[in-house]
Amino acid sequence: MNFLSRIIRPAHVAHAHCDGPCGVYDPASARIAAEAVLSMTKKAIALQGNDAAMWNSFTRFTTIKEQQADVVKKELDILWHDYFKAEHLAKYPDLHDTFWKATKLASKCKQELNVDACNDLVKAIEGVHTIFWATKGRDVPFYLANPA
Amino acid sequence: MIAGSRSRGAPFLYGLAVAAVAVEAAFAAWWARRRYMRFEITGSSMLPALEPGDFVIVDTHAYRGVLPHRGDIVLAADPRKPDRTLVKRVGSVDLHQGISLLGDNAEESTDSRRFGPVSPEAIIGRVRWRYWPLRSVLRVR
Repeated sequence: MNFLSRIIRPAHVAHAHCDGPCGVYDPASARIAAEAVLSMTKKAIALQGNDAAMWNSFTRFTTIKEQQADVVKKELDILWHDYFKAEHLAKYPDLHDTFWKATKLASKCKQELNVDACNDLVKAIEGVHTIFWATKGRDVPFYLANPA
Repeated sequence: MIAGSRSRGAPFLYGLAVAAVAVEAAFAAWWARRRYMRFEITGSSMLPALEPGDFVIVDTHAYRGVLPHRGDIVLAADPRKPDRTLVKRVGSVDLHQGISLLGDNAEESTDSRRFGPVSPEAIIGRVRWRYWPLRSVLRVR
């Protein structure tokens, strides 16, 4: 059987696909990206001098900051429209507002070099974290990979 | 000379006929290989119609001059990752809005509900037959 199935195995794969391992959601992915935005913002602001090396670093930091801000928005969107359901909204009426403000902050962090906005973004994701784990009836502490 | 060529005539024609059949068979095999491709299914979004590990035969000419029908199981390039081939069922076909693809197992499927409709050019072919595992060899519907 196994020998036969090896011979006739197709060379191509078709994915009956589902994003990620299905049903696996965690606001941690948004938090990690938000921390990267915060870190890149701080590093870009702290740069000194006006030589090519500085501009190279500045450009790299800004690029990564913008990319990670987009990751934050995408990860929050996945939680918002894939994980959360109408019954959650009934229990947490400020759910939409929480996501709206968090994604707005991600946009602000993408546009500006604004440490305060980045800290607010991390705080907003903590808010999402709290609601998310409450819907699962689990007490999961919020933590930062890179505490200030 | 004339007698000699006559005696060689019959085997020559016979050989020609054999060669013609061989060429035809080779062409048919080549054509079938181009038209029909074998795929292994991974993932659970098409349960129960298709299970992960199934081997299927796909007709890549199924939609030459015809649009897919609602209900067909098709292969399509993933709009978010074109080198990934998706297998989904056609939910609806709209000339202007495109083709919406849905997994039979909606709970475990990323499909047009997420990435929107796809263009007809994204459709690779129609899944026609399952040939493995042997216990469930059948025409795929």
